[in-house]
Amino acid sequence: MKKKNMLKLNLQAILTDLLIWIYITGCISFLLNRWFNVAIPGLHIVIYGVVVSVIVMTCGISIGRKVFLPTKRTNNKWYKTFWGWSIVLILLITFIVGWILVEVNPYKFFTKFKNAGGIMSGIFDPNLDLLIVSLTALAETIYLALLATIFAIPFAFLLSFFAARNLMPKTLIGNTVYIIIRTFATVFRSIEAIVWAIIFSVWVGIGPFAGMLALMIHSIAALTKLYSEQIENIDSGPVEAIKATGANTLQIWVFGVVPQIISPFLAFTIYRWDINVRMATIVGFVGGGGIGLLLLQQQQLLRWHNVGMIIWLIAAVVWIMDMVSAKVREKLQGM
Amino acid sequence: MKNIIEINNLHKVYTGGTHALKGINLNVKEGEFCILLGLSGSGKTTLLRCLNRLIEPTSGKIQIDGEDIIAAKGQKLRLIRRKIGMIFQQFNLIKNMSSLTNVLTGKLGYTSLLNSLAFSKNKKDVEIALENLQRVGLKDFDENKIKNLSGGQQQRVAIARTLMQKPKVILADEPVASLDPATADSVMKYLGELNKNDKITIICSLHFLSLARKYGTRVVGLKDGEIVFDGTPREIDKKRFKEIYGEDAEEVEIR
Ligand SMILES: Nc1ncnc2c1ncn2[C@@H]1O[C@H](COP(=O)(O)OP(=O)(O)O)[C@@H](O)[C@H]1O
Ligand SMILES: [Mg+2]
Repeated sequence: MKKKNMLKLNLQAILTDLLIWIYITGCISFLLNRWFNVAIPGLHIVIYGVVVSVIVMTCGISIGRKVFLPTKRTNNKWYKTFWGWSIVLILLITFIVGWILVEVNPYKFFTKFKNAGGIMSGIFDPNLDLLIVSLTALAETIYLALLATIFAIPFAFLLSFFAARNLMPKTLIGNTVYIIIRTFATVFRSIEAIVWAIIFSVWVGIGPFAGMLALMIHSIAALTKLYSEQIENIDSGPVEAIKATGANTLQIWVFGVVPQIISPFLAFTIYRWDINVRMATIVGFVGGGGIGLLLLQQQQLLRWHNVGMIIWLIAAVVWIMDMVSAKVREKLQGM
Repeated sequence: MKNIIEINNLHKVYTGGTHALKGINLNVKEGEFCILLGLSGSGKTTLLRCLNRLIEPTSGKIQIDGEDIIAAKGQKLRLIRRKIGMIFQQFNLIKNMSSLTNVLTGKLGYTSLLNSLAFSKNKKDVEIALENLQRVGLKDFDENKIKNLSGGQQQRVAIARTLMQKPKVILADEPVASLDPATADSVMKYLGELNKNDKITIICSLHFLSLARKYGTRVVGLKDGEIVFDGTPREIDKKRFKEIYGEDAEEVEIR
């Protein structure tokens, strides 16, 4: 067992060093390319990286070794060691490459302010004539977020029981169900709502319905995870007590688990609605309807006074939702 | 009197490797009030929880009221569990629900899921639940939320919940360990009464010898997963006490 563990640690150390040095040589060749127009083939980059890491490893001075393998404790200050300087090199080179890739340009920031004059004047002088139209679009957004949340609840509620480690028996079937649902939730949650919106705006056409479907899918996955974690945190005492009365599994869930999770579930759900209202705006940009779509249209028409109006409304709604949901969640805490 | 519980060569080895029960042989007669004594870690909880299979025993045989609970599965297991009430040190009630609802959950073994969903509307069950609350001195406490009750009151609600099962046996795992001495005695009094009047067999682990003497008809001493003493409460003298609790132990008087 000890031996196996050492092998694993060694492998981790080697992999870490390889990745680090391939990354560093990669960054260096990128810089050489940008500054001196020297093109280095990809294969060479990898080879240099491997060569350097092998040298470093055999000398026993690598970062991977320092992190994963037991080393003799020396009282050397970090700046007297090789790994210390390797880290400085990584940070420095990452910063430089980042600066170039992001095209950071402080000069533009300070000298080109007048370009934003249009939108700034729009914000400080919003077009009130657009109020009715914007409010309609805003209602669309709020309701689509609400429906997405409501439709997601029953699915997430049911799924969460099967994604809770403490409720699923440790049998083959139990483990399989648990893993499948957990994986589903993780994968679907990691796909942003905006991606779902693009899919659904093609599927059912541009408009609030597409936005709702996008948010619903994302909410099901997110709520399943939050709910099931809540179930995993419940007090197992009452559950066992009810089991001991001779109740069956469903009765145990209904009477032992559900009463313990109702108020945290409500809190999470309201929090989710709050998030969905914000996301609904963004989702509107890619075809999900509502105030987001309106904002996009007005922006492309360069109607800055209309854009200003819409921005104020979005800010107000987000602010109000935030306050309301915080208040409600605070109340639920005491229940 | 016939044996209501028969335990044969019961072993429990936890996944970590702890051998918590090392071949327990124990028969409990109908109507006994059997006290389990022993240091922390001697295996009292493990033994009690094996009896209604909240823990799976590693090997051995357990018969409850003539039925083999180790072989039982699904519906059969639930029917046997129904006959065995359990009282926990931490009460294990649902804290944000009322006493009445908690007591009613004791009846779950007798109803289907659909019926139990509406069970606060079942007049007869509610009546029995209220009666049981009255029995443990909690008349008019039916609407109180559990979290607003004291520890002693909570344990009494737990006893009322157990009564809904119409149990033949009650397993009580340190039922008074988190209560102050006076409250502890009042809770034990209710268990004693159920034993005397309702002829319910009780197995109860305890920490205080004084309570064991007052309520027990029999004392079983556990040490490192083995039975080291089996007799009447009166037979426990200084020497026996040290056998159960170790050389350095002194009896502390609690009344
Ligand atoms: N879930 C568990 N997993 C592993 N070991 C356990 C578990 N529960 C209890 N044990 C061990 O089993 C032994 C008996 O514990 P327990 O039955 O709780 O004793 P008691 O109730 O008399 O204090 C102890 O050594 C304890 O550490
Ligand atoms: Mg214990």
